[in-house]
Amino acid sequence: MKKLLLIWFLMMTLTSSLLAQTRQVTGKVTSSEDGSALPGVSVSLKGTSRGTSTAGDGSYKIMVGDGAVLVYSFTGFNAQSLTVGNKTQMDVVLVGDNKQLSEVVVVGYGTRKRQEFTGAASTVKAASIAERPVQSFSQGLTGQAAGVNITQPNGLLNNPPVIRVRGLSSLSLSSFPLVVIDGIPISTDNVSANSTTNNPLADINPSDIESIDILKDAASAAIYGSRAGAGVLLITTKRGKNGKAKVSIDSWAGISQAVRLPDVLNAQQFMDHKNGAIANALLMNPNAVAASQRNAQNQSFLPNYKPDGSLIDTDWSKEVYQTSVSQNHNLSITGGNDKTNYYFSTGYSDQDGFLRSNSFQRRSGRFNMDHQATNWLKLTANFNYSNTMNRAPISGSNPGGAFNTSGLGRIAVAQVPNLPAYLPDGSYNLENNTVGRMNNLLPAQFPNPAVVRDLDKISSENTRLIANLGAEIRLMEGLNAKTTYSWDRRNTENIRFFNPFNGDGQSAGGDAYNNTARSDNWNWINTLQYNATIATKHNISAVVGSDVQKTRVLNWGAQRQTLADFFFTDFQGNYGTNLAAGNGISQVGFEAYFGSFSYNYASKYFLSANVRRDGNSALSTENRWGDFGGASLGWTLSEEEFFKNMNLGNKISNLRLKASFGRVGNGNVPNAYGSFSTFGSSLYGAAPTLAFNQAGNKDLKWETSTQTNFGLDISFLNDRITLEANYYNKDIDNLILNVPQSPSKGIPGNSILANVGSMYNKGIELAITATPINTGSFMWTTNLNFATNENMVTSLVDANTPILTTTSGLETTSITKVGYSAAQIYGVKTGGVNPENGRRIFIRKDGTKVQYSHLGGALAWTTVADGKATTSPSDQQQVLGNTLPTFYGGFNNTFKYMGFDLGVNFTFSGGNYIYNGSQAGLRDQRVWNNSVDVLNSWKTPGQVTDIPKAVYGDNVSNGSSFLNDSNLQKGDFLRLQTATLGYKIPSNLSKVGISSIRVYVQGTNLFLLTPYLGVDPEISTNGDTNLASGIERNSIPQGRAFTFGINIGL
Amino acid sequence: MKLFINKIGLLSIAFAMTVSSCNKEFLNAVPELELSDATVFNTPARVLSQVNGLYGSAKSGSLFGGRYLIYNDIRGEDWVNRTTNSVTGYSTYQGNQDPSDSYLANFWVQGYLTINRSNLFLEGIAANPTAVSTALAANYRGEAKFLRALSYFSLVQFFAKPFILDKGASAGLPLRLKGETSSANNDLKRSSVAEIYTQILKDLNEAETELPDSYASALLNTTRAHKNAAIALKTRVLLAKGDFAGVISEANKIVSATAPFRSSVRVAHALQADVSNVFKAPFTTSESVFSFPMDATNAPGTQNQLGYYFNAVNGNVEYYLNTGPTGIYSSSQFRATDDRKTKLTVATTTIAKFPSSIKFSGVAPFVDYVPNIRYAEVLLNLAEAEAEGGNLARAIELFKAVHTRSDATYDFSAITAKADVIKAILTERRIEFLAEGFRANDVLRRGEPLNSFGAGAIIQPSDPRYIYGIPLAETQTNPSIGK
Repeated sequence: MKKLLLIWFLMMTLTSSLLAQTRQVTGKVTSSEDGSALPGVSVSLKGTSRGTSTAGDGSYKIMVGDGAVLVYSFTGFNAQSLTVGNKTQMDVVLVGDNKQLSEVVVVGYGTRKRQEFTGAASTVKAASIAERPVQSFSQGLTGQAAGVNITQPNGLLNNPPVIRVRGLSSLSLSSFPLVVIDGIPISTDNVSANSTTNNPLADINPSDIESIDILKDAASAAIYGSRAGAGVLLITTKRGKNGKAKVSIDSWAGISQAVRLPDVLNAQQFMDHKNGAIANALLMNPNAVAASQRNAQNQSFLPNYKPDGSLIDTDWSKEVYQTSVSQNHNLSITGGNDKTNYYFSTGYSDQDGFLRSNSFQRRSGRFNMDHQATNWLKLTANFNYSNTMNRAPISGSNPGGAFNTSGLGRIAVAQVPNLPAYLPDGSYNLENNTVGRMNNLLPAQFPNPAVVRDLDKISSENTRLIANLGAEIRLMEGLNAKTTYSWDRRNTENIRFFNPFNGDGQSAGGDAYNNTARSDNWNWINTLQYNATIATKHNISAVVGSDVQKTRVLNWGAQRQTLADFFFTDFQGNYGTNLAAGNGISQVGFEAYFGSFSYNYASKYFLSANVRRDGNSALSTENRWGDFGGASLGWTLSEEEFFKNMNLGNKISNLRLKASFGRVGNGNVPNAYGSFSTFGSSLYGAAPTLAFNQAGNKDLKWETSTQTNFGLDISFLNDRITLEANYYNKDIDNLILNVPQSPSKGIPGNSILANVGSMYNKGIELAITATPINTGSFMWTTNLNFATNENMVTSLVDANTPILTTTSGLETTSITKVGYSAAQIYGVKTGGVNPENGRRIFIRKDGTKVQYSHLGGALAWTTVADGKATTSPSDQQQVLGNTLPTFYGGFNNTFKYMGFDLGVNFTFSGGNYIYNGSQAGLRDQRVWNNSVDVLNSWKTPGQVTDIPKAVYGDNVSNGSSFLNDSNLQKGDFLRLQTATLGYKIPSNLSKVGISSIRVYVQGTNLFLLTPYLGVDPEISTNGDTNLASGIERNSIPQGRAFTFGINIGL
Repeated sequence: MKLFINKIGLLSIAFAMTVSSCNKEFLNAVPELELSDATVFNTPARVLSQVNGLYGSAKSGSLFGGRYLIYNDIRGEDWVNRTTNSVTGYSTYQGNQDPSDSYLANFWVQGYLTINRSNLFLEGIAANPTAVSTALAANYRGEAKFLRALSYFSLVQFFAKPFILDKGASAGLPLRLKGETSSANNDLKRSSVAEIYTQILKDLNEAETELPDSYASALLNTTRAHKNAAIALKTRVLLAKGDFAGVISEANKIVSATAPFRSSVRVAHALQADVSNVFKAPFTTSESVFSFPMDATNAPGTQNQLGYYFNAVNGNVEYYLNTGPTGIYSSSQFRATDDRKTKLTVATTTIAKFPSSIKFSGVAPFVDYVPNIRYAEVLLNLAEAEAEGGNLARAIELFKAVHTRSDATYDFSAITAKADVIKAILTERRIEFLAEGFRANDVLRRGEPLNSFGAGAIIQPSDPRYIYGIPLAETQTNPSIGK
């Protein structure tokens, strides 16, 4: 019956239009991208329902009448309307769609058409990320999506980036978004157990990723309920497409170098400066340097000479850094037919860091398949196997490692420069656990970096399988049941061998520590989905389902010390001492039931809502279930008749208002067993012990975030300019905090987990995408995304109890306090250097100025006003500056001309301060080297300078002993993140069996504009931590990379 | 339709499986490597493990297992810093220590952790009266009180004005005697030094009653507190309090009236003929009244080891001996032939061209036991008290006993006046306990100025550097602590 109706309908339309039909138009539709023919393009006659589509070679023919307008439309391309006039041949070049890149938004447990989506989400196409010399896709997201701020902590390979979606989402819990790969939530924490950084997201080959959708507001994310407090990153991998098998080969190779290293003293400057500082110190304290550690002239640093008589002047950074070479190759085969589609790929990446002995290797294979088994059963299978090897020396650049004595980041600049790395006979220059002192009378303090670099062996290797098997059953028209089981199995082998000669293994006579972690993570999702269109205008879709996940991580390991013979360089050798180390078992279970409903009327009015009930094993039995949900509304004004009648249609092609509200939880409780009070087992000599080691909190409950979003989507000039604007407000309550306990109570760790705080984030996001120029042969497309963020902590335990956080457990650098944004820099204010006497002036909270004289004994601290003795102002800390950027974004441009394409991507960020702790270290007056700043140190009365008088051993004046604001600097920056110039070889290569070749060169981090004086304003010595961001302490810098790449299609 | 039913059937099975996998147990994740606080009194073995846990807490490398001793030594005049490393005490050595110093804070943190664990144990053993026999319960209570007293005494010496200066009227420590497991009670003001001493002595008196005479092995007699250990510790506390009569009456419980001095009751404490034996495996001679054991699997930890700090042969010789006029090495009482010089120091090594200590001679991971109370200390405590009290003859005999076992030919004839006897005894302590963590406390307990070699200055009792400030971590969370 239906068929008959259709035929009748077609006949009627054909008959009616036949009357006006006069002639045939033919032509070919090609892509502006690469000139290739586009099959399947819809060619329709405007104002009628008639149309055709292009054939396999892009050709079409259609009958038209006078004054006809043809509309060419194709998914992923901008539609074009062309007046036929008297032409009979119309070849058309379609330009790729500029707006938001994608027609479809991947949301929780399904996809949604972007035009129907009323939440806030950004979609990033992964193609450009695969070309970048990064280890994980997460590093490539910088500046790509509005409201998503990404900080690369430093240049250590595969260091997990800090990702913040709409600001800080928690204080103690992870603020890293939930990452879901083809449906399964996976762990994102650094899984290294040593000084390497091992971001498990690098187990996913960036080339395998089709798109990344970032769910930003609660209404979108709430379907992930408890897991979505920090936003959600949905990774969709590539799938096969209908058609004959396509083979792609993508390769790049490149070099990388360290940039912005600080300038330090050369050997002569070093000796002069230090001996001068010793003279100053001896005036204060005759034992400042023991008589046995200086010569008759009171000098401790004396020249050393090479065999040829020249002064030894070592640039230690050359021992630590290099120009490194990296390469990356991918091969993929994709294809399919009506029944079966497949995507198969293999990848190999071999990257060396600019830090010597730092490398990253990945070998991966992926097989994705879809199969329509019967007309009611569709099967999906994904299979990803990868092996990633991360190697890194002790660099001081991994979270917690900042003050490591062997940290190469610090040694590269701070090692004593008048000492050589090698002796004339080629052996290492060593003395006890440091570089050999030669003629110096004071020993150096840091190891010889050449030894640490060459002889330590440190790695973290993942072997990982991620597999999904899914079935979709069509129960009846519009009603589908779907089940997906995913298994994510990771084995991480952490290997650490410290050599017995110099560095961290010296005192133990060699030290080997191996640990293996086996993470078994499974997830089973069952959903029922219903879609229907009722009376043509009521579109309904609904989903109900359940989601269970369990992650169990088993760690075991051992530490072996004191080599039987220095012949051995591995854990497997023979040692005197064997210890248990790195053992652990932890398990987390999640269980959820959810439903979502969305409705739209005639694609004008949109409503969607979702609810979810979530259980989390990490919370107390009484409080582990939480209810979450969200709702959103949308109104597409541009579909309204009144709007269309306003004749804005030519100018404003789309206008939509949207609003959402929702409540989500944060289930990333840092301690899987935080509600338990426990006793740990250890030893007293050889006797077993039990000791109270955790004060649990039986009231521990969900940390929740209530989020509001108001948005506007507007497109102008036939979508040539699109603008998406959002205002957001995230209120986070019941913050789970490690509540500080007064140490005299003797609570283990001096803290107890409790729900005590609240904070908010609010701001606006703008994303403007435009094609300012498109002449067919030349095109410029641009995307500017910009976001603001205001973070404010509104309550904690009480107004007087801030949270203080240390950098690497040693230095209190950060404070989180009511009335301020989180993670403020906390220290003592300074008032320059007293020109009278060269002493650093510190300012107490009451404004009193006091000055410090190192080794001044009872008069070390005096008031500036009257020179009377006073006490140390170390407890006079104040909030010094915010570390969270208040604005950030990206400015991405693509230029195309003939076969050339040029991509220029800028990133920017600002409004924040950074504590330049590395500067404090390089101005410290102990044995190690100083930055050239100290050449300006105070020397004569009346001299105005910002560097205090150099007194040997002074670790107070410049901020090592306790933090002061002389090392506080602004963190604003503008960076040319990448510039890529590509060329598509136009000649017809099909006769040699190649369908396309593109070559490109790319530069990364080409320039940086910033007032910041440290290695890089994009820095996070403390990694992903929420409470101690914006700190630089002894980290290695960022790199500058140049790559050359080629994409071949067969 | 049949097909439809089949599919529904399949689906039902799938959902049923999901739901059944999600029974209540699914979300029950309990710690698998830690014991719940509800189970730690379930067996006698666990109770004993808890007692050992209290000792383990005290012996942390950041406290009595290493740093407490080291920081006491390096504040004085006998040591010279070699490495200028602030992680190994350089600031304290130079008299630049600051309340923000995390290593000083660790004394406070670890000390109070030990105190709280002791408090919790005492409450727990009272609440579980049938967990162990009455006799064992008393024994264990005595041990907990002994450790609580040792912790309070060690903290009050570091963070408060010496008792002797004002009879303990100064602000002492927050006195916490109740177990803490919740967020309550952060605020607590300091009790006076005298109140802290009163509590310490109360604990030690009770411990003396409750502790056993001895244990089954030399190892246990060395590593766990018994009656003699509590008495010995009392002599130390009373000496610091200036209660010389008290020292004498306590010490006489375990020291014979005349030479050879030994303990005739319970554990037979006596000096070893050769002092170096005390510092050799198995570290359990009768001279070791109380020591903290070390083991390869229970080592002091990085940069906490006495051997690492002082030993130039196997360690990093962070500090070497001051050979200048103020250092003990050049003292006329510390002669070149003294066993303590010939056997426990070396003149030069490849690392340092200066004399250094080899008292703690173990190699990595530095498992030498760390002495806390030696019988030699009891004798010198008693000698000092006798001298102060006027019994110079016995004082000299006691002092002789300690000195002559290492330097048999020393001429004591010139030491007759009271002041000289006391001075000689104090000097003897520097020689005998070099690198054992006595120096700064020995100066401070007498209210004398501290001659800090690192500071290059004499630090007077009125100088803020004389004692450590209350750690910032405490002042920030306990506003009542004051300054």
